[in-house]
Amino acid sequence: MTGPRAALPPRLDRPGIAAFLAWVLVLGLVVASFRGVGFSASTFIEGLPQMGRFAAGLFPPSLDRIGPVLAALVETFQMAIAGTLIGVLVSVPLAVLSARHLSPHPLVRVAARGLVSFFRTVPDLIWAVFFVVTVGLGPFAGTLALIVDTAGFCGRFFAEAMEEAERGPQEALAALGARPAAVIACAVLPAAMPAMVATSLFSLEKATRSSVVLGLVGAGGIGAELEVALTFFNYQEAATIILAIFVLVLAVEQAAGALRHRIIA
Amino acid sequence: MAGVATLASHASAARPETRADAPAEIAAHGIGKRFGDRTILAGVSFSVRRGETVALIGANGAGKSTLLRCLLRLVEPDEGDALLLGVRTGTLGKRAMRRLRARVGFVFQKHNLVPRLSVLTNVLHGALGRAGFAALHAATAPAPLRREALDCLDRVGLAALARQRADTLSGGQSQRVAIARALMQRPSALLADEPVASLDPAAGEEVMALFSALAREDGLTLLFTTHSMAHAAGHADRVIGLRAGRIALEERATPALAPALERFFA
Repeated sequence: MTGPRAALPPRLDRPGIAAFLAWVLVLGLVVASFRGVGFSASTFIEGLPQMGRFAAGLFPPSLDRIGPVLAALVETFQMAIAGTLIGVLVSVPLAVLSARHLSPHPLVRVAARGLVSFFRTVPDLIWAVFFVVTVGLGPFAGTLALIVDTAGFCGRFFAEAMEEAERGPQEALAALGARPAAVIACAVLPAAMPAMVATSLFSLEKATRSSVVLGLVGAGGIGAELEVALTFFNYQEAATIILAIFVLVLAVEQAAGALRHRIIA
Repeated sequence: MAGVATLASHASAARPETRADAPAEIAAHGIGKRFGDRTILAGVSFSVRRGETVALIGANGAGKSTLLRCLLRLVEPDEGDALLLGVRTGTLGKRAMRRLRARVGFVFQKHNLVPRLSVLTNVLHGALGRAGFAALHAATAPAPLRREALDCLDRVGLAALARQRADTLSGGQSQRVAIARALMQRPSALLADEPVASLDPAAGEEVMALFSALAREDGLTLLFTTHSMAHAAGHADRVIGLRAGRIALEERATPALAPALERFFA
């Protein structure tokens, strides 16, 4: 070509007034947040010796009560397994009712979505307190809290996976006279299964971490042991408990990651 | 197995004449459909006699796929009514419509198999309309249903792939499995929406020959859409052309028709 060369476009477009104001607003929000929480590097640095003393107090970890600690750890894992399993099972029908193209009626969809959002937005610790009041202290209350928390987490992601499932096979089964429930069972669930399994495994990891915290309000598991150790300044025993929790969470994450990789591949 | 026709014998079988006085098995009565401001179908009427094979041709966007879907009420027509297997569909409730669909095979352009399931399970799904959840999965289906599904696969020459996952098949194999799924319905009629459009010419011709021969063998009424003049002239008794949502051509299919069909698309 021999004509004049085209001018290079600018590297960045000039922002409009609305975009400019939005950037100013975001920046103001960030600055206000840091000021609001009293963020201070000097306070943190001044506190480092205190942190060192606390960390030194943790060592060496005490094995005096290793038996009860391991028993509580097993109970924590059992709560996570039972809570996740039942939570996942509860999530499937909730997700079907929440999915845009599967829900029998828009009002049912709004109700199901609202319920799932409610399960998710109320913190698991609050659910634990609620169930401790309902069924008393112990792992059953914690398991119930994990069921609700898992249903809130999985219900949303299962519904999204179902909405993203390829529509062609669903239309094909509808065209051959399959009932809506059969279309869901034969076309929607198989397509959504990898995402649902991945979400369920994330949920198991999340439940394992949560079940540690639930013990702090008396909902069973190793959290109760940790709270007692910290309350009585028994840092060496607390170190044993923290290490045990670390090993459990790491093991669950590794196993879940390997399973997820196998299933998605 | 006995009674299984090979691909070669399908391709060479001669097409018998359809009786002119045979009753209409599939019909459209003034079907109209709009999507927003766009008119897709504008009062389309035609009929297909029992045992007849009709090719529905037309350029992209002419309304062929929408028309097939309106016949099964997968898409609700805005006006008009359809006749399927002698039953007017317009007033049928959901359950009655499902029962009717169960007797009409529908083969899609993109096979629409469930990718993560086995070939045998996909074929079993053809019986979902008549057998319900018994046809859910090859692992749980009763033996007679499994046998029947395998026989259907055998008819399309793919019994050896029964346990393979559907997403490992080639395009031609997938479309043959979709045909086996339609046969599993024990249909009285077959509808096919550009069943070979996504295949290469050789695979397309092979699948089209198998498809029309199976329909002929079982005495099924067949209505298929296509862009291929050769398929329309070679496999159909009659050709119906759609242009801008209206019927613009209706002729008996003969080899001499091919130039007229080419002009229709020009």
